[in-house]
Amino acid sequence: MIWRRMALIFLVLVGLSAVLAPKVAPYSYSEQFRDSPNAPPGGKFLLGTDDMGRDRFSRLLYATAVSVTLAPAAAALSVLLALVVCAFHGRVLSGLTTIGMSIPWMFLFIILRAELPLNTAPEVSVVLTFALMGVAGWAGPARVLSGSIREMMEAGWMLHARSAGIARWRIAAVYAWPHLRSVAAAQFRALAPAYVLAEASLGLLGLGVAEPVPSWGNLLRDLQHPDMVRENPALLAPLVLLMLCLLALEAFSVRESVQ
Amino acid sequence: MSSGSSLSSADELLKYRLNARYGATPVLREVEGRLAAGEIAALVGLSGSGKSTLALALQRLLHYRGGRVDGSIVLEGTELMGLSESAMRSIRGRRIGYVPQSPGTALNPKLRVRTLIDETWSAHARGRMDDAARQTLLERVQLPGTGAFLDQRAGELSTGQGQRLLIALAILHGPALLIADEPTSALDAITQAAVLRLFAELNRELGTAILFISHDLLSVASIAHRVDILHEGSVVESGPPGRIFGEPVHPFTRDLVDAMPKRP
Repeated sequence: MIWRRMALIFLVLVGLSAVLAPKVAPYSYSEQFRDSPNAPPGGKFLLGTDDMGRDRFSRLLYATAVSVTLAPAAAALSVLLALVVCAFHGRVLSGLTTIGMSIPWMFLFIILRAELPLNTAPEVSVVLTFALMGVAGWAGPARVLSGSIREMMEAGWMLHARSAGIARWRIAAVYAWPHLRSVAAAQFRALAPAYVLAEASLGLLGLGVAEPVPSWGNLLRDLQHPDMVRENPALLAPLVLLMLCLLALEAFSVRESVQ
Repeated sequence: MSSGSSLSSADELLKYRLNARYGATPVLREVEGRLAAGEIAALVGLSGSGKSTLALALQRLLHYRGGRVDGSIVLEGTELMGLSESAMRSIRGRRIGYVPQSPGTALNPKLRVRTLIDETWSAHARGRMDDAARQTLLERVQLPGTGAFLDQRAGELSTGQGQRLLIALAILHGPALLIADEPTSALDAITQAAVLRLFAELNRELGTAILFISHDLLSVASIAHRVDILHEGSVVESGPPGRIFGEPVHPFTRDLVDAMPKRP
């Protein structure tokens, strides 16, 4: 209970700082201080600057905003798509889900992402990155949801609702949704941290969110240079924040699913 | 009340002749029956004799349980077998009310009593059901019409309350025919007697015809005008309860009558 509350408080704080990033951050994420690249942490730059003289702390705040708003949005998109697909349940779905789950999305994704024109606006690349993840991730939740739906189709109350002449969409919206809601929510909670992590992995490959928009993924690219990390341990800040966020999300969702 | 054989076609409500099977396994073989308007007919058979299958088949719901039906079902002069699913939906709940066996599984545990009533109402009526109509309906089946009761979730009701609610939902649109599938088998003896009385009352006051499906010959004898005995997928004997009890003809009927509990 105490862990769950702490996780919640932490997530709210991170969420708040993300939402308020434009107000809280000392500088813009793209503002360059040409006379002080790679500055150490200090008074003017809390976590120092990167090689282009941009304030690391401000970039971390904006990156957090990107990840904690768009990853849940992508998770919601996946679950929504899964629900739409499940609405047309049947044999087709089961086959489609199997195919959907066996496609190596990561590679397809890398190819798709590489096909994007070089002059694509960074803002577009951000939304596209997460939207693609959201679209690609429908199969997992669809499999779980279709299992629950199959179970519901056999339920006595489903037959009874039909015997009362209730329209199909009312049965879905009023009778079935209260049972599906918790399953959909659990899928959402499992996917959100997975997408945070997926974006970070893509960013590491340089295929996630494009510069100069910061994301946890592209901030973590700096960790590829161990000597830089030894020089400035503040570079680990995005990693620590990522781990804490994932930990909090997991702690939160585990408790939920136990209930 | 007239028995099945002496009906004129004018007051005939339901007439059916059905075969039903699950996969290759036949469950009903040329089961025939008819029901006059306002009549209570009991269909008695052992478990596995195809009673519930018939209850679903008559509503054209059996395909939702993986079964197939052929034959003929004529309700109020309309052949149901050829009707589309949407035409059937307008008949289910409006002309045919269905009271299933177990309120524990037939009522969606997450829904409130109010929601169940309102959804059943809007299946065949426009606008919202008003409070007075809801209260009248619940009092009709001896349930409290209070706000507190309406706000209860179906999962919180007792079996007796749930069974009464199922009956209320079934009679909401004043159907001509009520199909009750073992509606008292989950109840204790006293509640069972009360629910049986309720069915008899509904029949008397609303003129609803009832097809009462049961394994319990004794309990249906008190309210039925006619008893059909279903054995291995066929109706083997049919007649008024007095005749069935007094002079059972078919060997299976004789076994049923002999097996009834005697007063000690």
